[in-house]
Amino acid sequence: MMTAKTPTLKIIQIPGPDEKKPGAAAKGAGKSGKKRWQPEQAEPAITVKDLKIRYKSVAAYSIKKKLLHLQGADTKTFEAVRGISFVVNKGQILGITGKNGSGKSTLLRALANIFSADEGSIDLHGHSVSLLAIGVGFNGELTGRENIMISGLLLGFSEELVREKMDDIIEFAGIGDFIDMPVRTYSSGMHSKLAFSITAVLETDIMLIDEVLSVGDEKFKKKSYQRMKELIEDRNRTVVIVSHSLSTLTDLCDTVMWMHEGKIMEIGDPETVLEDYRKFMS
Amino acid sequence: MKRFLNDLRRYWAYTLYSAKSQLKSEVANSYLNWVWWVLEPFCFMLIYSFVFGTLIGRKIEYYNIYIFAGLALWDFFNRCIKSSVRMVKRHKPIVSRVYLPKFTLIISDIMVSAFKMMICLGITLCMLAVYRVPVTVNILFVFPIVITMMLLTYACETILLHLGVFIEDMANVVNILLRFLFYLTGIFYNIRTILEEPYSSILVKLNPVALLIESLRNCMIYGKTPDLKIIINWFFISLIVAVLGTRNIYKNENTYVKVI
Repeated sequence: MMTAKTPTLKIIQIPGPDEKKPGAAAKGAGKSGKKRWQPEQAEPAITVKDLKIRYKSVAAYSIKKKLLHLQGADTKTFEAVRGISFVVNKGQILGITGKNGSGKSTLLRALANIFSADEGSIDLHGHSVSLLAIGVGFNGELTGRENIMISGLLLGFSEELVREKMDDIIEFAGIGDFIDMPVRTYSSGMHSKLAFSITAVLETDIMLIDEVLSVGDEKFKKKSYQRMKELIEDRNRTVVIVSHSLSTLTDLCDTVMWMHEGKIMEIGDPETVLEDYRKFMS
Repeated sequence: MKRFLNDLRRYWAYTLYSAKSQLKSEVANSYLNWVWWVLEPFCFMLIYSFVFGTLIGRKIEYYNIYIFAGLALWDFFNRCIKSSVRMVKRHKPIVSRVYLPKFTLIISDIMVSAFKMMICLGITLCMLAVYRVPVTVNILFVFPIVITMMLLTYACETILLHLGVFIEDMANVVNILLRFLFYLTGIFYNIRTILEEPYSSILVKLNPVALLIESLRNCMIYGKTPDLKIIINWFFISLIVAVLGTRNIYKNENTYVKVI
């Protein structure tokens, strides 16, 4: 088994694409046109130190099971993230990949403050953060419009701002009159379109994206991918993308982190890391 | 405390909007829409008036109002407590996607039930007028009684929200306890006439729901001054439990998502 590398400094020291050898720089810039992180901009947006996240002794238990079977405590412990450290600077686009169960999504949820760290720390340096994931939770009984408002308020935006952006979100989602229907009547594609549109239009300082770039039909996929690129091009926005799509990571990210069994296997420029990952998986 | 107030301010708009949406969604697909908010308790009032005012004897003065006022408070407490056990699981789609202080779920839930309780209390006032019940200035004690009931409910919900995440059978246990409490509270009868003194007084003092319902009836229907000392005692007990419960939720809320 490969040993995990020490990533903390490496991620800061990765040169921007413009500083790479001419061929590589041209390749990166040509693909996405957004590779804009520079070392001198090194203002940390996310600092993760020795982060460990476990699923242990918190399993819900049944009184019946306790009384009838006299089971001991539910002591099954699974360490999803095993002491990782890294820094993502402001404006940087970090891609995270790895096979299923490697701790990517758990890490992303910890960054979004949904999971607590069992050990170590996560510092977002006061930046606002939103998690964009497939199947973002909606109240099925409420209309799409009401769910937009609720999601916006949950993301920390004011009611006025959400109202201001409401038309843009509805237009981007492109679900027509369904916007005033209860969300439970939506197809899964419409559900995802609306979820994506909310986060894509209501912009936060840090965007965490979990396998969301391929939602909806072909037309919406192109539109969402384009929008994602626009968002990423904003120099003030920090983005962390979890994806299995190596082409997406190569195209959008300026740094890629490969996770395996809760640890960082490698972190660095996309081409190198993804090539090693490809070899490992083959 | 500072964090609680900051979060309360920050998420107030969400809490309020969520409560309004919840109320709206409950009647959204019905033909009569929001009219049900008034029509439902009004129909219950008519049923109680018919059954308890006409068919069954009148051992208690203004018996139908007596029941209706008691049920207004009991239904509020009962609805909130039952709902709190599965609060986090019910909101899984949201809490697993975005951070939200979990106590705001409780407050939003209390707002929904409080709205319904206010309609019931409004109908109780109408009944007082229809039955020409002599109303005194003591009716103003309704406000501190209702506020204490809300605080007590919040306090209980903070405990049950936490336990409900980790104990699967909590809902069954709570249902049994609520049924037991219902009979100890005296919704359809007067505890004081069922039990001898000092047992009835002890029961009312130890059961805050019974105390608050009796106090509400006394000040609304019978013009009596409630026992403020005991109400204040329960207010502060509820406040302490609410603070401890909220702190406990803050301490554990990020692990809830791991469990659900």
